[in-house]
Amino acid sequence: MDRNTYIPRLAKIAQIREEVGGARPIKTFQTQFLKNNDFSFRCGQCAMLSVFGKGESMISISSTPLIKDYLQFSILKMGRVTSSLHEMLVGDIIGIRGPYGNGFPLEKWKGKNLIFIGGGIGLAPIWSVLNTALGKREDYGDLMLIYGARTSKDLVFKEELEELRNKMTVHLSVDVEEPDWKEFVGFVPQNVTDKKPSPKNSITITCGPPIMIKFVIQALKDPGFEDEQIYTTVENKMKCGIGKCGRCNIGLHYVCQDGPVYSWAELKKLPQEY
Amino acid sequence: MVNLEDLKKEAKQILKDEKVKYIIGYKKGVNGLMPVPAFIKNPEDVDKLVWDPTCVYNLTLFIVDEKRRKAREKNPDERPVAIVVKGCDSRALIVLLQEKFIDRKDVYILGVSCENTGVLDEKKLIKKLKGKKAEKVEFDEKDNFVVFTQEGKVKIPAEEILAERCLECKANSPVIYDVLLGEKVERNINNPFKSLEITEDLSEEKKWAFWKEHLDKCIRCYACRSVCPMCYCDECVVDTISFAVTADTSAEEKAQKIKWVEKSPVSSENFVYHLVRAIHLAGRCIDCGECERVCPMDIPLRLLNKKLEKEVKELFDYDAGFDPDLPSLISCFKDEDPEDFIR
Amino acid sequence: MEKILTKKSFPQWVKKLVSYKIYAPVEEDNHWSYEIIDNPENIDLDYPLTVLSPKKIIFPQREVLLEFETSNENKLQVKETLPNDEPTVIFGVRPCDAKSLTLTDKVFGGDFEDLYYWRRRNQSTLVGLSCNIPPSPNCFCLSVDGSPHSKEGLDILMTDLGDKYIIETFTKKGDQLINAAKNLFKNSTSKDKNNLEKIQTESEKKIRRQVKDIKKIPPKLKEMFDSPIWDEESMSCLRCGICTYLCPTCHCFDINDEIASSSPIKGKRIRTWDNCQFPDFTMHSSGHNPRPDKASRLRQRIIHKFQYFVERYQNYQCTGCGRCISQCPVGIDIIEVLDKVSDYGP
Repeated sequence: MDRNTYIPRLAKIAQIREEVGGARPIKTFQTQFLKNNDFSFRCGQCAMLSVFGKGESMISISSTPLIKDYLQFSILKMGRVTSSLHEMLVGDIIGIRGPYGNGFPLEKWKGKNLIFIGGGIGLAPIWSVLNTALGKREDYGDLMLIYGARTSKDLVFKEELEELRNKMTVHLSVDVEEPDWKEFVGFVPQNVTDKKPSPKNSITITCGPPIMIKFVIQALKDPGFEDEQIYTTVENKMKCGIGKCGRCNIGLHYVCQDGPVYSWAELKKLPQEY
Repeated sequence: MVNLEDLKKEAKQILKDEKVKYIIGYKKGVNGLMPVPAFIKNPEDVDKLVWDPTCVYNLTLFIVDEKRRKAREKNPDERPVAIVVKGCDSRALIVLLQEKFIDRKDVYILGVSCENTGVLDEKKLIKKLKGKKAEKVEFDEKDNFVVFTQEGKVKIPAEEILAERCLECKANSPVIYDVLLGEKVERNINNPFKSLEITEDLSEEKKWAFWKEHLDKCIRCYACRSVCPMCYCDECVVDTISFAVTADTSAEEKAQKIKWVEKSPVSSENFVYHLVRAIHLAGRCIDCGECERVCPMDIPLRLLNKKLEKEVKELFDYDAGFDPDLPSLISCFKDEDPEDFIR
Repeated sequence: MEKILTKKSFPQWVKKLVSYKIYAPVEEDNHWSYEIIDNPENIDLDYPLTVLSPKKIIFPQREVLLEFETSNENKLQVKETLPNDEPTVIFGVRPCDAKSLTLTDKVFGGDFEDLYYWRRRNQSTLVGLSCNIPPSPNCFCLSVDGSPHSKEGLDILMTDLGDKYIIETFTKKGDQLINAAKNLFKNSTSKDKNNLEKIQTESEKKIRRQVKDIKKIPPKLKEMFDSPIWDEESMSCLRCGICTYLCPTCHCFDINDEIASSSPIKGKRIRTWDNCQFPDFTMHSSGHNPRPDKASRLRQRIIHKFQYFVERYQNYQCTGCGRCISQCPVGIDIIEVLDKVSDYGP
């Protein structure tokens, strides 16, 4: 490959939407490349976003590859680079390089039921798969979303969640009681146990805080899900994104190249260092 | 002369009595002449302890390490740790006590006196032996070092291969101890800042050129900082990530952390790192010389700290690490302190 | 080809290489280092192991990846800054250091080729020097599939035959170097060849250190992730960067933006060496650190070099140069650790 992969392509921020406010804000950005919008990627892959002068951050692409006009990223304000991104306005220029990572093995899931389980910002990495499945509805079986956050204000993609109910089964939850909340109250793993998804011909994709993933996997064992049926994404500190700088190395893998998507069967075999 | 058997006996007893968690001392390495740090938990293992002119390391940095370990444990063992210290090393312990980094009850000090000599400089020994490989070095009663090689043994006057700092020694016997091995011997060093003569009288340009040539070689391995017992800050001026980060640290705090020094090993950043470190050690450095010993690029780091040691002595008549009850230099002032910089 | 060059003619050969930038080991203070040579008479090929390997020339500690600047019309411009076109010759490369470059080649190649590394790599001609005697008391190249006269990674290998060098070339780049001063070289005789064989056999016998049973180690390490051995062996570790920065096969790096001005923005994106022994290497922005203690970091270093890398690339990520042993401030000895690993357990 002749192209120098360290050089980001310039893109402008086309749209910003505040998903969650407060102390741990989340914003969704839609970006468009300045030169040409050619950027093919697979669900689950990530891109390195550059804020020139501050640094780079690896963010999963939350839009579906079926949309060609823009790329979508949902970003939690965490440190130097993400804070800078949160201060940006429509029209500001960032750099994007990628796509990196292995993506979800959608070809293996044709005809299967897909169960998406997310917590907080964890919905963003699986949003891409969810919308791809909806876009190619005939390729998949039943679709279900089990998603929750600390409070109703912390749910992301609130506008789209209501529309989703017309197209697939949606089960939402919040951690504690709040007025006007009619759905499940409790942690996401408890909601999983409550809704008892069937493992027959199913794949689950789960993403969220590490502790939630741990208990979701436990909760899925009860109805009988096998390790190969449970997929998740792993987060690790990344710098180069191309498996060379060594930072995201776990066992034999570089999470930026061999991940971030792993089945629980594969992830169990790796040293628990992430 | 220090009797190694007495040291071993004392060590064995405190381990048997379970007075201490473990003993930090020197033991023979698997390969080569120099010893390695030993962490002895079982009384049977005390025979591994050694004491000879190769015991150059300042082991007090492992007291700092021990404190870090304890902080990570849920129910830490509150017993002290025993440590073998030379005169210079004991001054490092005193600085840690002055700064209230450790309590007196956290350390059981096995002091070893250097008497009339000190420890050797491995590079000087290699040069002196001209290709012969040293296997063992011992003290003798007459202030020589007896060097054993495959071709036999050789007596070298200690002065010829002493570590540079030993030639300017301010404490040839531990200043603080629970047990003292060896005798306190009066040693008169007539020029305690002799090593500064290389640079002190140089013109400003020559001084800059001297330090630029050396600091340009720095690869920022931070061995100098890691080996220094006084560099115990969790958040160092060169780190881009603060260790004080918890789940509650806000994104703004993290975003606003100033990058004082860039990671690039270029002249400007290397200068800032070394000079800031030297200033942060002013009035605290006790000249164990470890920073210079460990530097893989042979930068004469000791000189930076020695210069500030001299300034501190001249301005405030203060020597670091002699009195654990004295407040640390920077945390107090006297009415007689010089004020000529205040206009 | 195989040629003979007298020691007296060596500086003349180097003088003929006018279109190249020349690196060779130079003595500085108490150590040796690869530096740019202005006067070929100063090249002394009778030197111990250098502190830093030629890795510092091919994969420098500081590399500018790109520059960014806001132009007058307030447009952000990004400029790629690949290394300059500079044909380079590095003399006196030890076989272990040359082999280490073949290992970093595997890392910097692959799906996303690192153009900075490859430009420097492709424009460098490596002239090796056989180790008739071990250049370090801690050499153990034979234990890691290397040898004091290995040609892996080299364009030319020189062997000291006393008053002359026997010179073997293996690549076109190597041939080009010889052709630049054809008349200085003579053909080798069968006596020279015999001499060479004798020296090569003798040099292997002189390697004093070895790993007990290296073949046992990768499978053993697979079972040893939770072993208490890492805590014991890392007790004296200082968490400095000496072992990894000096290691010719270590390649971890960091990428940071350094700015000259923030408004309008002007700066550079810089790649610098980094190392897995620093406490903040794996720390996340959230404060979570997957490798918070010395034991987990030492374990990562050993298992990465002797198991993960072996499974990924079928090579130990170690060429037995011994620098980490010679320079570790507290005497942590990788051979000792590996021997303990092979003895561990049933």
